[in-house]
Amino acid sequence: MKLRKKILCALLTISTTAALLTGCGKKDNKTFTVGFDAEYPPYGYMDENGEYTGFDLELAEEVCKINGWTLKKQPIDWANKDNELNSGSIDCIWNGFTINGREDKYEWSVPYVDNSQVVVVKADSGIKGLSDLAGKTVGVQAASAALDVLTDEEGQKELGDSFGKLQEFADYNTAFVELQAGSVDAIAMDIGVAQYQISGRGDEFIILDEHLNAEQYGVGFKLGNTKMRDDVNKALKELKQNGKFDELAEKYGLSEMTCLEP
Amino acid sequence: MSFFNMLEQISSGMLHTILIFFFTLVFSLPLGWIVAFGRMSKNKIISGITAFFISILRGTPLMLQLMVVFYGPYFLFQLPIGNWRFPAIIVGFSINYAAYFAEIYRSGISAIPVGQYEAAHILGYTKVQTFFKIILPQVIRIILPAVTNEVITLVKDTSLAFSISYIEMFSITKQIASTQTTLMPFAIAAAFYYIFNLLVSFVMRRLEKRLNYY
Repeated sequence: MKLRKKILCALLTISTTAALLTGCGKKDNKTFTVGFDAEYPPYGYMDENGEYTGFDLELAEEVCKINGWTLKKQPIDWANKDNELNSGSIDCIWNGFTINGREDKYEWSVPYVDNSQVVVVKADSGIKGLSDLAGKTVGVQAASAALDVLTDEEGQKELGDSFGKLQEFADYNTAFVELQAGSVDAIAMDIGVAQYQISGRGDEFIILDEHLNAEQYGVGFKLGNTKMRDDVNKALKELKQNGKFDELAEKYGLSEMTCLEP
Repeated sequence: MSFFNMLEQISSGMLHTILIFFFTLVFSLPLGWIVAFGRMSKNKIISGITAFFISILRGTPLMLQLMVVFYGPYFLFQLPIGNWRFPAIIVGFSINYAAYFAEIYRSGISAIPVGQYEAAHILGYTKVQTFFKIILPQVIRIILPAVTNEVITLVKDTSLAFSISYIEMFSITKQIASTQTTLMPFAIAAAFYYIFNLLVSFVMRRLEKRLNYY
């Protein structure tokens, strides 16, 4: 009797698992899966209640409302973003995603934020400008736009080569901890993210006045997926016209950086 | 975010960690026996193939295997993989752990002296009877400490699931840490892993005691 119960139990477990594995087959056409880095405030992050939110995600939510889609927020490992997009497990990358330098790799929406790549240093480090960084260790997120700028011939490769070392990080929190601990001398990153990080950490850090470059954010779709991109573009225009876009930018302190044309 | 709030969020991630843990054990423990028998098969082809399977799974990082299992169906066969994320993790973890369990089982089976098989044969036991009634109970007792080792490693390995963007306890911890710009969540996560493993080793110790009948 006891053995039979055990077998029954095992069978039940296996069959429910099988149902679990096969049950979720077809993909709903109306689901809009946004891939984002959940460690990238204020564009995409986890809020007080454990919900994913941020400027880009709320914007995506509004776009979905207009187009009648259901939004699915999929946090991704940033270094794996191309695999995620090309394999179709996400529909777009929408997360402070820099267009410049990646123009031919994705179908791009209209640009909506003017961004700069900047350098953050400790306030008491004595580093005043980009030329002071020669021989220093500079941190940067793996597969990020800041890394592209510092390694691209047409960007700031010369500056990048003057650094003692270009240290790649998986996320900005680790990078800031290392900056604080002194194992890196500076971090190169997007200005919006830099402002958020510094506001959360007090005046121990400063942003250098000299910027690395100016660039724009857009939503990136897989090459060939123009249909979905056009739908998103149309919805973005509508949000700009009805004031919802500016309202969200205001909420996340990004008003001065938006560049979406009505 | 308050301390209590962090605890709540991290424990919600713990649920996903436990899901990976549970399903991996459900599939890999039995699968390990099949692999072990394949490895010990007298048929050279079967034992050769299984030995190769084990060497690949032990010789490459689990993180890489997870990526192959998850992205493979699309990049090799153009299949849609939108809902394949969690199943892929279970498949990846299960086959990887099955390879390790198989070698543990094999070591247990080899530890039984040949004399016992001969004695059982003389007493009229069939091969199947010998295995289930005489060999297996002893093997389980021998391999239990090694299995416990693997199970504890599994608890910690679950954090690799983030490499294919499955949100479990460690990735939630990292997300909270980055939004709140503090390292506190990592201390909480460490405590969670430790307590979970204390429980695992407690259960396994009880099991060892119960099986300690000779």
